Amino acid sequence: MSKRKSTGSAAMSEGACYSELQRVLRERVYKISAPCDVAGENDLDKPRRHLLDLIQRCSSMGESNSALIIGPRGAGKTMLLSSVLAELKENRDFRDNVLEVHLNGLLQTDDRIALKEITRQLQLENVVGNRVFGSFADNLAFLLEALKKGSRDSQAVLFVLEEFDLFAHHKNQTLLYNLFDVAQSQQAPITVIGLTCRLDVIELLEKRVKSRFSHRQIHLFNSLTFDQYLRVFRSLLVLPAEFRDKKFCGKWNKHVESLSDDPGVTSILRKLYDTSKDIRTLKMFLMLPVARICPSHPRLEMSDFVEAHKILTADSKSNTLHGLSVLELCLVVAMRRLSDVFVNQPFNFQMVYNEYQKFVQTRSYAVQSFDRPVVLKAFEHLQQMELVRAAEGAGIGGRGQKEFRPMLLMIDKSQLMQAIQKYPACPTEVKHWANTL
Amino acid sequence: VRVDEMMPNIPKTPRQRKEPMGVLEQARARLHVSAVPESLPCRELEFGNIYSFVEGRLLDGTGGCMYISGVPGTGKTATVHEVLRCLQEEVDDSNLPEFQFVEINGMKLTDPHQAHSQILKALTGQKATPEHAAEILDKRFNTPAPRRESTVLLVDELDLLWTRKQSVMYNLFDWPTRPQAKLIVLAIANTMDLPERMMMNRVSSRLGLTRMTFQPYTFRQLQEIVMSRMKGLQAFEDDAIQLAARKVAAVSGDARRALDICRRATELAELAKTPGRKSAALVNMTHVDTAVQEMFSSPKIMAIRHASLQEQLFLKAVVAEFRRSGLEEATFLQVSQQHECLCRLDGVSVPTMSQLSGVCSTLGASRLLLVEAGKSDLSQRVRLNVSQDDVMYALRDTSQS
Repeated sequence: MSKRKSTGSAAMSEGACYSELQRVLRERVYKISAPCDVAGENDLDKPRRHLLDLIQRCSSMGESNSALIIGPRGAGKTMLLSSVLAELKENRDFRDNVLEVHLNGLLQTDDRIALKEITRQLQLENVVGNRVFGSFADNLAFLLEALKKGSRDSQAVLFVLEEFDLFAHHKNQTLLYNLFDVAQSQQAPITVIGLTCRLDVIELLEKRVKSRFSHRQIHLFNSLTFDQYLRVFRSLLVLPAEFRDKKFCGKWNKHVESLSDDPGVTSILRKLYDTSKDIRTLKMFLMLPVARICPSHPRLEMSDFVEAHKILTADSKSNTLHGLSVLELCLVVAMRRLSDVFVNQPFNFQMVYNEYQKFVQTRSYAVQSFDRPVVLKAFEHLQQMELVRAAEGAGIGGRGQKEFRPMLLMIDKSQLMQAIQKYPACPTEVKHWANTL
Repeated sequence: VRVDEMMPNIPKTPRQRKEPMGVLEQARARLHVSAVPESLPCRELEFGNIYSFVEGRLLDGTGGCMYISGVPGTGKTATVHEVLRCLQEEVDDSNLPEFQFVEINGMKLTDPHQAHSQILKALTGQKATPEHAAEILDKRFNTPAPRRESTVLLVDELDLLWTRKQSVMYNLFDWPTRPQAKLIVLAIANTMDLPERMMMNRVSSRLGLTRMTFQPYTFRQLQEIVMSRMKGLQAFEDDAIQLAARKVAAVSGDARRALDICRRATELAELAKTPGRKSAALVNMTHVDTAVQEMFSSPKIMAIRHASLQEQLFLKAVVAEFRRSGLEEATFLQVSQQHECLCRLDGVSVPTMSQLSGVCSTLGASRLLLVEAGKSDLSQRVRLNVSQDDVMYALRDTSQS
């Protein structure tokens, strides 16, 4: 540390440069919540304006409102809200005027917990330290009374409900009814903002709750075009102008520029973009290449991206198949044959064993021959890995003998063929047998 | 620390709130659902009925029940509150004997039995457990007390007070029949046939036949409601209000919706206001139309258009599989085979199974598809949550670009 300070703004040592670079890039790539300003600004502008107006009016005019932000996962709902709040909080009036309550459907799993949390965050009078006193009924009555006593002159309360759809599953939707009801009557000014990824969330609401909700919906989509996507990619890797070593920074940024023009890299990004447009996946993709950068590996190479893409898109089933023994692989092939013959009808162990026996007698000539208990053990192992599962309706609880329980194979033909090709030292007779599928 | 010794309150703001300034801001303040007017337009008949019912019982010193039903947003609670306000004025002019008003709401109770506690607390200020409160109330309404004043009890969201034994409902409707009780119960709920459908015979017979139904507002009534709030304020073009009223009346007849749409339309008008001119920005048809679109339209088609290529292909594969099999349900394995064909046709690289199940669960999370839990793997069943035509319509233009 002391060394870095003493060298000042001039050239840093190479090692220091790279550790600084790592710090900057990792901050961006690993932190999910870090705002990404390039992302389709024009599209975000309208919803942002709407949200800003809504919250602002609650604080300045005392107008109560309710709204829902709806968009697929990774579309930047929480980011939008937190950036709006951050902007508003720069204003002192707003900070004095507004109390915030943040709830999450995954944490506040029922109204009892949610109410305690609200009471705690509002610091109402029945809170001592961080503990809330009184029963559930008391808490509700107390909170409603507090809100009812409020008027246009009391502080505005901003309720943020993340995973809003889970709140709709609470009993009677009491909490939602009461929040919306307060927002629609002459009490303390409150704004209720729900965030959810379900498009049909309004249909979940009971009719009287739905009637009280003001039906403002703000929709966010992953609407990046590929060019914008590339720009995001670049902005995630480019070093900021404040970087201490200017020469290093310039060199690195030029390198990033050249990367985003490289047809190899763009084609990989294109594939990524085709499967999922959200920034979160892009960041996940960049984790490995970023972690690799060090003085002995100073550039992002094409091979890094290829490998990261391979890891990200790897098929988990065929990877699992690589770790099986030859006997287990034989059983999988046998089961695949059965599924093909009987078109996805369930089979049992006895059928698989017979099929395996046929293979041993006709092709393998006792090389792969094992006793029945050994085969059964292998079958049970496959079952434990959930490559084979009990067919629907069959008693999973262990009714019936295990040799005769109807089962289904969870491996597609293409996955099996892929795995056989890559299987280390696969016996030729098994390969031949699989190829006759 | 006893809870009942504390004063619940939300702190006051250190700053003065702004009064609404411009025409549009004033309009918005008046259009807010909470700004309930002194007298509700278009509910004069219902007001009269309830008023005369309660007034008659108060003058006689007897008790009775009334059941009020209607879909949400038709002004039931507001009308009853207005009746009681008017009666209170009469009492203040000493034209009527004094009465006590108690209000409970089924939705604001954590448990139906809590109703007893709340009524007792409102009547006497005592705090008691629900069972104890029921006993005290029972005694109170059974013993004669010559100087007791009448009580008007408003029970909102009655259907939530249902319990297996229906003891809460039974009590609420039984007490008014006692000669000494002097209790008038006004029960509000949404469904017209609630007494016949949910209540036991002995409960519904005690509720009696004094019933009233609030019909959904027609478009003329909605128009009048908005106009009455806008009286003396030139903010809307007449046609704009009419459009909002007609749209809402066609769907639900919910006054809250009409007011919300108009309020949103004023916001849109404000946004569209040219910065040069200071005033005379009227809310016109296009603003209302945009507001209606925002509130009522389904975003599913937009969501499909913004989905990634593989997600769109997956939806197409689902439709293709449905058309092939003629069923409305397919397994993930079947869809994945169709997906592979579509990828090869379009010259797109085929995703691995793991990727594809990721795509499937993303679509499932936003409820474009209804999928089983991912645990059932290849045999997980997939259904569409959108109509097939919508999918094809949404994807028609994108496939060419």
